Amino acid sequence: MTSVVLDGIVLGLAFGLLGVGMTLVYGLGGVINLAYGQIVVFGAIVTSLVMEEGTSTLLAAAVGVLAAAGVCVLLDLTLMRPVYRQHGEERILLGLLLTLGVAFVILGLLTWRYPAGALYINISGEPVSILGVPMAVGSIWASVIAIAVGAALLLFFGLTTFGRGVRSVVQDEVGARLVGINPSFVRTVVFALSGALAGIVAITYSMSGPLTVNAGFELTTFALIVAVVGGLGSVAGAFMGGVLLGIVNSMSAHYIGQYYTSIILLGAAALTILIRPRGLLGR
Amino acid sequence: MKAVSEQPLGESRRGARVAGYAGRTLLPILAVAAILVVLPPLWFGDSTYTTSLAVRALVFASYGVAFNLIFGCTNQLFLCMGALAGIGGYGTAISMDRTSLPIWAGIAVGTASAALVGGVLSWIAVRRSLGVIFTGIVTLVFSLAFANLLLGQRDLTGSETGLVLTDGAVRLADDRVGGYYLFVCLLVVCLLVFRVLQLSHVGWAFRALRDDETAAELAGVDVARYRIYAATVGSAMFGLTGALYAYSSGFISPATYAFDQVDVRVLVLVAFGGLGSLLGPVIGAGVFAILDERLTTSLELREILYGVFVIAIFLGFRKGVVHACVALYKRLFRSGGGEPALETSRE
Repeated sequence: MTSVVLDGIVLGLAFGLLGVGMTLVYGLGGVINLAYGQIVVFGAIVTSLVMEEGTSTLLAAAVGVLAAAGVCVLLDLTLMRPVYRQHGEERILLGLLLTLGVAFVILGLLTWRYPAGALYINISGEPVSILGVPMAVGSIWASVIAIAVGAALLLFFGLTTFGRGVRSVVQDEVGARLVGINPSFVRTVVFALSGALAGIVAITYSMSGPLTVNAGFELTTFALIVAVVGGLGSVAGAFMGGVLLGIVNSMSAHYIGQYYTSIILLGAAALTILIRPRGLLGR
Repeated sequence: MKAVSEQPLGESRRGARVAGYAGRTLLPILAVAAILVVLPPLWFGDSTYTTSLAVRALVFASYGVAFNLIFGCTNQLFLCMGALAGIGGYGTAISMDRTSLPIWAGIAVGTASAALVGGVLSWIAVRRSLGVIFTGIVTLVFSLAFANLLLGQRDLTGSETGLVLTDGAVRLADDRVGGYYLFVCLLVVCLLVFRVLQLSHVGWAFRALRDDETAAELAGVDVARYRIYAATVGSAMFGLTGALYAYSSGFISPATYAFDQVDVRVLVLVAFGGLGSLLGPVIGAGVFAILDERLTTSLELREILYGVFVIAIFLGFRKGVVHACVALYKRLFRSGGGEPALETSRE
């Protein structure tokens, strides 16, 4: 029982980290970034290429994270500009479709150039015992990184001036402009932040197994589901939704069977959306 | 038209006007039907390869018309098109496998189940007032769950290996050109249903609720009812097309109805042709069939080109290529007449 729940939490933290990048960009720009999973894959491929050059894993990971953030900034400065000029559902829809196009382009380019590309960061070491359950070192590292990043984000949005500025833009764009915050700059920074998160997700995912070049679509759907369940725009909600879905996933895999797991997971997500369309912590 | 309609018309002239109106509104469909009917003898003869490509294009055109009815007319983003078609296909196959129904009854069962599922999904979306994006996400979740169900129910669906449909498939698969004409008929029926709905009072309700939902509700349009109505009819089209496609190819697998195979392509080709327009899906399906055929050598290159296409379409031609061409035509020839009420726009 404990081991099942712990497994679920490990998986859920990874889910949560994945959902945060999606939820941030939605909360701020009103854009559901369907290219998100592909950006994760892009970060992974860059990292693996740098690692092949023989550099240290840490440096390679940093380059991968920066590359993913760079793609996001590029996206924000070019394709997302016409999206921000729209309002309401038009904006969401245009953002959705444009990022879908971007997802195709990135997927096509990556599978074309690196058809066998994959990232696997092998962390060797004896399993560590937590609450009497032996856990692999890789998943412990992944969870620690996820928790640290989550805590850093919450502190950033809660305590720093810039973080408060971001929240003010989420609440009211016009009001934020009136008190001297530049929404366009804030959006670019948050887009870059979500790209960096995508890079970090690539690193933590590849600690427990290889992240292959065509995992992008699945990652996007998971990020979307986690973000929606947690409440679009809420960082804490994304982590909560992630952990909840992670526990549901490992519980049903253990007690009901592997095959029904994904259906139960999707059912749980659909049920949450239907019962509480704003998500767990949505406004 | 404005000047004439103010003075009383003689019975015969009114009759002629009605006939002319009906003729003009059905003309595009007749033209499409005529072109499609003469295409095999003029162009590809009975080549198996080209005919199967053409059948695929026709199937996607029918999917496109159905999607246009659900999303283009009533603003419900159904991202479970492949799943609905799959319910039609697998519903037919399984019901014929388990019982001794004749082929048409099996197809009716498949179509009805797809219509039912689509109607229920729409009912849920309307009751929970989910909005465009959440409808999209819930239906996306549904289609992922459906894909998993197909993979898991091995004894019913054959999982990845798929199902071979023997009954009836022989007739359709052997006679490729006959199969082609069957799908021409299907597309024409879909277009006719779409057009008739557009012209009837239902069409007015659709336009009203798409332009402004609240205003439509205030004006007495039962938005919920018309949404469910459109979703049911559109889902029946998906189911019927999926069922017939299953029988014409003689083999179905989860990949036949996969999200990235059906939904993404339909979304792109309908957007290319113009959301909500009558012939948009047909033109989109035609263009993308040719594109697919030219790019068979490199799957990745096709993917990239798809992406660039999508981005270009939504940045440049927000209302679709058909709309852009019509606008250009009007600007060039300033005919003034036309049928503005039938030209739909997104904004």
